[in-house]
Amino acid sequence: MSVETHALANPHHEHPDVVGSRNRLGAILILVADITFALGVLFVYFYLKGQNVNGMWLPAASDSQSATTPVSSSGAWALALVAAIGLLAHRFALMGARAKNQAQLALGSLLALLISLVGLIYQGMQISSASFTVTMGAYASCYYLIAGLNFMHFAFTVFISLGNWNRSRLGLYSADHWHVTIVEIWWVWMTLSSVLGAFALSFT
Amino acid sequence: MTTVLDHPTSAPGNSAMKRPLIERLNVFTAFGLGIISAIVFWYLARTFLPENTEGSFIKTRLDAVTIIAMLGWFFGFMTGIGALIGPFRWLLGKDLDHDESMFYAGKDQGIKRYFRYTTDHKVVGIQYLVITIIIFFVGGTLAMLIRMNLGHAGGGWLQPQTYNAIVGTHGIVMIVGTIIMITGPFGNFIMPIMIGARDMAFPRLNALSFWLIVAAIPPMLSSFFFGGISTGWSAYAPLASQAPPGMDGYIMFIVIFAISTMVAGANITTTVVKMRAKGMTWNRTPIFIYGVVASVALALPVFPLFFLSQVMSAMDRAVGSTFYDVRGGGSGWLYENLFWIMGHPEVYVILIPAVAALMEMAPVFTRRPLFSFNTAIMGIAGISGLSILVWAHHMYVTGWAPLLNGPFMLTTELISIPTGMLFLVLIGTLWRGRLWMTMPTASIYALLWNFMIGGITGIYLSDVPVDGALHGSMFVTAHFHYTLMGAGLTGALASLVFWFPKMTGRMFDRRLSWIAFWLVQIGFNVAFIGMFLVGLAGQPRRVDAYAALFNQGNSVTTMAAYSIMAGMLVLLYGVISSWTNGAIAPMNPWFAKTLDWTVPNPVPLENFEVLPVVTSDPYGYGKAQS
Repeated sequence: MSVETHALANPHHEHPDVVGSRNRLGAILILVADITFALGVLFVYFYLKGQNVNGMWLPAASDSQSATTPVSSSGAWALALVAAIGLLAHRFALMGARAKNQAQLALGSLLALLISLVGLIYQGMQISSASFTVTMGAYASCYYLIAGLNFMHFAFTVFISLGNWNRSRLGLYSADHWHVTIVEIWWVWMTLSSVLGAFALSFT
Repeated sequence: MTTVLDHPTSAPGNSAMKRPLIERLNVFTAFGLGIISAIVFWYLARTFLPENTEGSFIKTRLDAVTIIAMLGWFFGFMTGIGALIGPFRWLLGKDLDHDESMFYAGKDQGIKRYFRYTTDHKVVGIQYLVITIIIFFVGGTLAMLIRMNLGHAGGGWLQPQTYNAIVGTHGIVMIVGTIIMITGPFGNFIMPIMIGARDMAFPRLNALSFWLIVAAIPPMLSSFFFGGISTGWSAYAPLASQAPPGMDGYIMFIVIFAISTMVAGANITTTVVKMRAKGMTWNRTPIFIYGVVASVALALPVFPLFFLSQVMSAMDRAVGSTFYDVRGGGSGWLYENLFWIMGHPEVYVILIPAVAALMEMAPVFTRRPLFSFNTAIMGIAGISGLSILVWAHHMYVTGWAPLLNGPFMLTTELISIPTGMLFLVLIGTLWRGRLWMTMPTASIYALLWNFMIGGITGIYLSDVPVDGALHGSMFVTAHFHYTLMGAGLTGALASLVFWFPKMTGRMFDRRLSWIAFWLVQIGFNVAFIGMFLVGLAGQPRRVDAYAALFNQGNSVTTMAAYSIMAGMLVLLYGVISSWTNGAIAPMNPWFAKTLDWTVPNPVPLENFEVLPVVTSDPYGYGKAQS
């Protein structure tokens, strides 16, 4: 391998666009793992639903326990809507960052944070108010798995939205804003995964 | 290896109390906090979790307590090593400054940097090398216990449950060891230099992927104290659901290891895609890089399914979900599908970088260009693509989707075509080459021999009727040892000798490398051909006792296993003695042409003073101006 060496103007400091591009690819690749996991969860749901082993997808009432009644999918769709609104709020923040409007950036980030908190709490309430326990058949197991995954997604969203808002507030995105772009990639996936979860739960 | 000067980071007179947090965290604080956290979580779980009563959400309290304690260990360990500092500094808007980044990179810390959350890819590479050796030592010791037990017909000195636990632990420990044995040490240390980068794309994630593996090991080893892993490495449900709490150690191990694999996969792929030196087009990128990227890129989408399978296994055990329990609408086939969708690509996650490493060495030791570079790329791509379409050949005899047996037989047999391409490249490179006979050169021949046997027996096993006869026998065990050990480990050992000078600054003892090579290769072939024979005769695997008619084959295999053990111990001695007292290595002892041999020993902190610009391919041996 022939090699020439050329001294760069400043070899230890890369342009923010280069760093941003690299970080964006890394974030997308990590998302590939989460996407596969989420698709795996959907596979589990539809596989067990299709098999309905021993008629225990949704067990009928017995002497020892009541019948498993599936939850209404409207709650899951409502959560997907919350996620979509959060995505729009974050999009509003990103537009502010691109326009060098720090106030818009901070406001959009704060809204996104609050919406993610609403989503987290709402998902927690849905889990705690389900009319069945995780032991009551395959549907119940799958429901808690999907809801649990969505809860974890919202919890992570709260974390990064909090960081995003705080950094916006401190003016750290005044020079470059690739962090905000990457957070948007997460919001897009988080919204999509909520939609996928709601879609699955619409088939009982 | 020493890459930087050793001197204290704190000014004289500064007390330890004044040192910032990141300077106080290391492996000892990690273990300390991990143990304390595990005890606290264990106590809280025991105190507050309800008993196993009707209506309780806890199915098996002992499993729930065990899993919670292990989670406590995990969070405590990762906090104690400093993995959470970066995310929380980001959250607070207090990004690391230049000095802190240099501290994380291990600048001026001497040997201490190997015990910290150090981000320098060379440190991480050495850390991976050491942890791989430890993993192989543990797995190898367990293998010898297995062979000692199988030295006599009718059972040996181990109780059946203990024997099963040893087999299961040996299996999963060795699988993990072989997964990381190339991409861990050499993918981290060598790969960034080979592509002309200063470090990995995400240095902190690099450290994270390593320390996650360290965090995963204690739960795994603790399983011996809780009944062991009695299911074999595949941990099939519902068998795993009924296993003692040792199974929780397996689950936690896999969950943490899967996260490590995903993080490493994203990091390595991004590094190669985005950080190759100027002029290093894809046609000029060394074949080893292709092998490493194919391996981690393959792992990235499949390991989450393994992760998912274990999350559901944990839920079944601890809170009574019924994913795998047919009484509650679950299915054992579900587990098997999720497991093998990961399980078969995982074979190629292990094999591809090993073969690619030997393809990297072949031009060096034959002084010829790599034969048909494009064929090698097509072979790697073909194997990677087909490997995710073959998983159900592990399930022919389970009764799942018999109509799919034919298609899966076809896809499995098709994979021999791209595999044959890799053989062609290696043979073509060796053909009429002026061989420089070293241990890595001999390893190329060993790989061709071993992988041929492992591959052809794989074709037998992909055939539905033959698999019906051989499934669950020692023939299968011998087959996958021929691929994972005969091909994979052979490539890893050659890589160790080949890149040892760059990683340590010293030459690997030539005589010891040859002794180890022959002891391992002869012992290996005798041991596993013996295993093929008893497998063909009908000896089942995962059984601690066998009929007298298998005695001869098992005796031969056990004796040959001692030869493998001796070879590996010689190699270990070679590593230690060469590292401490070996001859000082020149910058490029093999006269190779890739960028990793253009940097001095020890490799500077940021690898290159000025970034290189590549102007030709890396295999221009025998060409003018190359």
